[in-house]
Amino acid sequence: MGEYVLRTNNIYKKYGKNLVLDNINIEIKKGEIYGFIGQNGAGKTSLLRVITGLITPTKGTVELFGQSSEKGLVKSIKRVGAVVENPALFPNMSAYENLELHRLQKGIPDKKCIDRTLKLVGLENTGRKKVVNFSLGMKQRLGIAIALLSDPEFLILDEPTNGLDPMGIVELRQLIKRLNREREMTVLISSHILSELHQLATRYGIIHKGRLLEEISSSELNQKCRRYLRIKVDNPSKGATVLETELNSTDFEIMPDGIIKLYSHLNDIQRVSLALTKNNLIIEHFSQAGDDLESYFTKLVGGVNND
Amino acid sequence: MINLIKAELFKLKRNRIFWVLIGVVTFIYGLANYLVIIDWWKMYNTGFYNIGLKEYNAMEMVKLPLIFNLIISTLAGFFINIDYTTGTIKNQILSGNKRSHIYLAKLIVFSLGSVITAVILPLMTVIFETTFLGHSDIYTSERVLYLLRAFSLYTLIIIAYSSIIMMIASITKESGKTIIITIIMTIILFVIDKSLIFKNELVRTIYENTIFYQIHRAFNSSITSNEIGKNIVISIATFIIISFCGSSIFKKQEIK
Repeated sequence: MGEYVLRTNNIYKKYGKNLVLDNINIEIKKGEIYGFIGQNGAGKTSLLRVITGLITPTKGTVELFGQSSEKGLVKSIKRVGAVVENPALFPNMSAYENLELHRLQKGIPDKKCIDRTLKLVGLENTGRKKVVNFSLGMKQRLGIAIALLSDPEFLILDEPTNGLDPMGIVELRQLIKRLNREREMTVLISSHILSELHQLATRYGIIHKGRLLEEISSSELNQKCRRYLRIKVDNPSKGATVLETELNSTDFEIMPDGIIKLYSHLNDIQRVSLALTKNNLIIEHFSQAGDDLESYFTKLVGGVNND
Repeated sequence: MINLIKAELFKLKRNRIFWVLIGVVTFIYGLANYLVIIDWWKMYNTGFYNIGLKEYNAMEMVKLPLIFNLIISTLAGFFINIDYTTGTIKNQILSGNKRSHIYLAKLIVFSLGSVITAVILPLMTVIFETTFLGHSDIYTSERVLYLLRAFSLYTLIIIAYSSIIMMIASITKESGKTIIITIIMTIILFVIDKSLIFKNELVRTIYENTIFYQIHRAFNSSITSNEIGKNIVISIATFIIISFCGSSIFKKQEIK
């Protein structure tokens, strides 16, 4: 079993009568990129606030790097870099000054980390320009730079792609992958768009109305979201042989109920049906099936009109 | 803790309002002192006048809660509350420091800012002007001793007052609210000072044991050693109790 960086145990958070977190249990192992998906208002930021100690849960505990006591959590948070909700910046300071302030707060002795981090997020040429004059994307990058300044072991980013242009989103994805690969940084990243984290996260947690609906690995999600031809014939094993011999395809599986899921030849439906009928198989059902990421997410949270 | 104090000092040095306050306080006290020294603005029977320091008459302003409150609450509004409005308070908590240390570091540096703007600057302007306008003869050893004692006690009172303002700023989280609430507070204190104190024994006893009453005592030329001790104890006790309360509130505060 891998070392856990984060574990939340039965987290509840209530504001008056409004339950914003309802029994949340997530576990993140060292080296994982955990994608935390949910609609706006689903409870993502509230959970991140609980994890980082900005708010206290009504019930439940947070375990960070194996520490769950108040003192232990304060110590553990030193190993975390986080941007929760919006990047918190001093508007009348430059990017360098904002990082210098954070360096002092964190007690990092070497000033070189500032230039290194600014370069890492592509803000090395901002000079004395005040943050108030930064674009939203630049502010987002600076927020991430603050989180990365102390070279954290665990990076928490709350909707970091907000305000970034498509190129910026690609660059951020590459940066996170690089940090994860080269520095073995564990990452918890939230988003309301599942496809945004696709091919980045190694595991996903889907939250809706304060409840964790599902935790799913990247490969399981890919499997679930794959399009396929759903075929039912009178003799499934013969059908499988036909697919192998006539269509040279092994990319299919036979389900216990006899349904064949063919993942290839999605654009060659006529050839598939012809091959089956030519071999005297009776086709009882033939359709395209499977979800894309967004429809999978929509179905999971109960459709578009779930509110 | 030292890191946090360094960070707060870094912020204070780059705080525009702090420098604006320094400019405004220097100008107002500089002008007022000048008008008093050239005898354009005449005041009689003031505390300073009665001990032969009539050139210090404009410094009567430092004793007025409304004046020093305006300076200190403005600083609080734009030094403490800006952390809440920009959300940078989150970064401080995420830096892995204890909330009590974060609060204390802020309080220390905020108190320093308050002392600079509400005590040191007014005092420096009057010392500078009396010296350079040819009135340095007023500084006899007895009067220097009085000034040292009075302004030392006053400094302690301002530090204690800063802890009250800091607590209010931490609760309100907004600069406007901080300034308005503290102004209302000083008006209430003014009413107590001028009327209620003579009517109600309990109110008088309580009020006399607050830093607001002790301001008058601090500048009293005939203050006894016991009264000096009481003055110091009230200031320090106020600072400790209010800082503890403020820190406890901050520890439990939900940061959004």
